[in-house]
Amino acid sequence: MTSLEYVRAEDQLPAGGEAPGGALRLAPLVGTWYATDQEALGIVRLELHDSDGALLVRAFGADVTEPYDWGEVSGTPYGHGVTAVEAMAFSAIYDFGFLITILSAYLIQGMLVLDTFNTFTDSSGRSNYFTREFFHR
Amino acid sequence: MVTRTRDRPPAGVLGSVPAVDLRPLLGGWVNCNQHTTGIHRIEIGDWEGMPIVRVFGAGRPAPIDWGEAAGSAFTDGVGRREAVAFTATYDLGFMQVLLACYIKLRLLVVNAYSTFTDSSGRASYWQPDNFYRP
Repeated sequence: MTSLEYVRAEDQLPAGGEAPGGALRLAPLVGTWYATDQEALGIVRLELHDSDGALLVRAFGADVTEPYDWGEVSGTPYGHGVTAVEAMAFSAIYDFGFLITILSAYLIQGMLVLDTFNTFTDSSGRSNYFTREFFHR
Repeated sequence: MVTRTRDRPPAGVLGSVPAVDLRPLLGGWVNCNQHTTGIHRIEIGDWEGMPIVRVFGAGRPAPIDWGEAAGSAFTDGVGRREAVAFTATYDLGFMQVLLACYIKLRLLVVNAYSTFTDSSGRASYWQPDNFYRP
């Protein structure tokens, strides 16, 4: 048996376990997710799509009149361990030109928990900031 | 320019925010679960205002040193200056790891998003861990 590289115990296959290979099943993530806070100042809605096994993410930011459509970007799905076959988390990156936003999210008890890490690349002097937001289907 | 309401600075703040204060992040953080199979401990230093992260993964007979990576610090809002979160990425050759971390109630919450780039067939995976300052 070939020894696999690892940097923590969790990276190793369990005894008798096999690497699943192939793409993670995206069904647990796919759909439209709404912010649980109806007065959210951050992201109000997330649309997650399965495009031939690839995850596509579309976010909508809060605004007074109607939400900002951030457009679609590709996401990276993650499972619960090295033998996972279903996705239960994802990450994605938006580059708006003046701002780079990293989305990192995971499912817990039917909710989607979304962390955003926001880095301004303009000269506005705004601090880079973090948010934690919750979504339901 | 904005992408959501949160991007708007409070009145009078624009352009006046000083450098981010990294002190809430700095130091050694140890996993609350001493039997963790994930990250054993994290050391965070300050290099000219940038967080420098050093991760040690759970391993036997000793934790595995991932080496140092440059991180990015984040506050609680566009007008704030105290760091409450950071990200760092590791390219370990056979795997890439995004660390997405924040402070909550004096604990450091670390979400590790790992993607294998080798041909092992292992699934990309997410693992959360909580850390305390000893």
